[in-house]
Amino acid sequence: MTSPQLFPSGLPQSPESPAFPATSRYAGLPLAMAELDGRQVRYVTRRFVPQPERFAMLREHPVAEGERPDTLAAAELGDPERFWVLCDANGALHPAELTSIVGRRLRITLPEGVPGAADA
Amino acid sequence: MLSGSVHLTLLVGPAVPVPVPRFVLDALTGVTVHSTAEPGKQSAFELTFELEKGSLLPTVFLLVGGSLPPVLRVVITVTVGSMPEVLIDGVMTSTSLAPGANGTPSVLTVHGMDLTALMEKIDGTGTPFPALPVAARVLTVLAKYAAFGVIPAVVPSLVPDTPNPLERVPVQRGTDLAYLRRLASRSGYVFTHIPGPVPGASIAYWGPQAKIGLPQPALNVDLDVQTNVESLNFSYDAEAATLPVIFIHHPETKAIIPVPIPDVSPLNPPLGALQPIPHRIRYIRETAKLGIAEAVLLGMAKSSSAADVVTAQGSLDVQRYGQVLRPRALVGVRGAGTAFDGLYFVQSVDHQLKRGSFTQQFTLVRNGLVSTLPVVPV
Repeated sequence: MTSPQLFPSGLPQSPESPAFPATSRYAGLPLAMAELDGRQVRYVTRRFVPQPERFAMLREHPVAEGERPDTLAAAELGDPERFWVLCDANGALHPAELTSIVGRRLRITLPEGVPGAADA
Repeated sequence: MLSGSVHLTLLVGPAVPVPVPRFVLDALTGVTVHSTAEPGKQSAFELTFELEKGSLLPTVFLLVGGSLPPVLRVVITVTVGSMPEVLIDGVMTSTSLAPGANGTPSVLTVHGMDLTALMEKIDGTGTPFPALPVAARVLTVLAKYAAFGVIPAVVPSLVPDTPNPLERVPVQRGTDLAYLRRLASRSGYVFTHIPGPVPGASIAYWGPQAKIGLPQPALNVDLDVQTNVESLNFSYDAEAATLPVIFIHHPETKAIIPVPIPDVSPLNPPLGALQPIPHRIRYIRETAKLGIAEAVLLGMAKSSSAADVVTAQGSLDVQRYGQVLRPRALVGVRGAGTAFDGLYFVQSVDHQLKRGSFTQQFTLVRNGLVSTLPVVPV
């Protein structure tokens, strides 16, 4: 097996048949090949988590008892599979961190790179 | 303009757009964006504001936008769920004001076009392009607009044509937009401005009208709880089909042989299985001086737009559909019956945003009846 690189480079995902759908956090990341036990294995390269300051805030959501990251994402974003957007915006590297403290005020934000006026 | 999971971001500014302050968004009552994939048409937008007396808004859009900086750029972005979608990246072209009476507020309407409106401002007739093939000339023309975040996406022309500067130096005729469009139609291409993928950036696409790609989530008609369109009407015009005919010049005998070609190419796959027999013949005369392969390719590219006999017009609610329907892409239709189900090319979309609602009027086209796919992807 090749040693892991700090900035792995690889083939970009083809726009015609992407390996991940557009709503995935891995969409657009380059793919690379590694050799594992004599087999060629395709893997997705490292994803760098953006800084939470890069997200323009819309509103806050206090965590209630019994909420999970997926229920939160379904309620706030309309798609339970997009819980990773909430993790990015709140600096949570582990999804369970989001809802572990009841009463924590979570930032509900615009996607990365979309500027927004405060409370517009 | 917040309604559920739909969020509007409006960016306005001379050359570099910035998010508008709160009072501008408070006055905004409606946004209409017309985005089209038809060759030779421009996308346009319209913003409607309701004004109080003494509002600063006319200053923003009339005095600042009209005179001091010559360009007032407007970028309209919507975020549905958490997917951002740039609807238009354009410039303001005109405003109109209807003063209020009897207690009704004044209504300020701001009209604009996409960034191709900038390419119409200056007549560049006479600019020489020595020894540059067509694609390099297009890139040279588009390089001026890099300051506005316009990224050129140019597909080199099928016909290699690098003029010898001792014999001929091509010069620009007309405005940049007219010149780009003329070069495009000569190669059987289209020139369009595609906003996005992030606010402030856009793509100037010069290449074939490619009716390929991943289809968007299917539009469901009359499917009970699965229905996600408000209305959808189909029309079928068998008379619209034309048979393109190219000419091949045989160099030995000097004979000119007309060759009818099908309107199906790798970039224009048949989206309908049952295509009508063409009623009209269209001669593509400039193919006589080209080689056989080039003539066939040019003929295919030129004819791809003339084959759309099935048109569908409808409207949908974005909250119900779940995402923004994009033009210049494919979309599936389900529940319309055997003849009209299947994949379509989205030709134009009118986005209409009001407080609490986001609807879209769209036009879909394809070149025949009956789906080519056994199952429409959901």
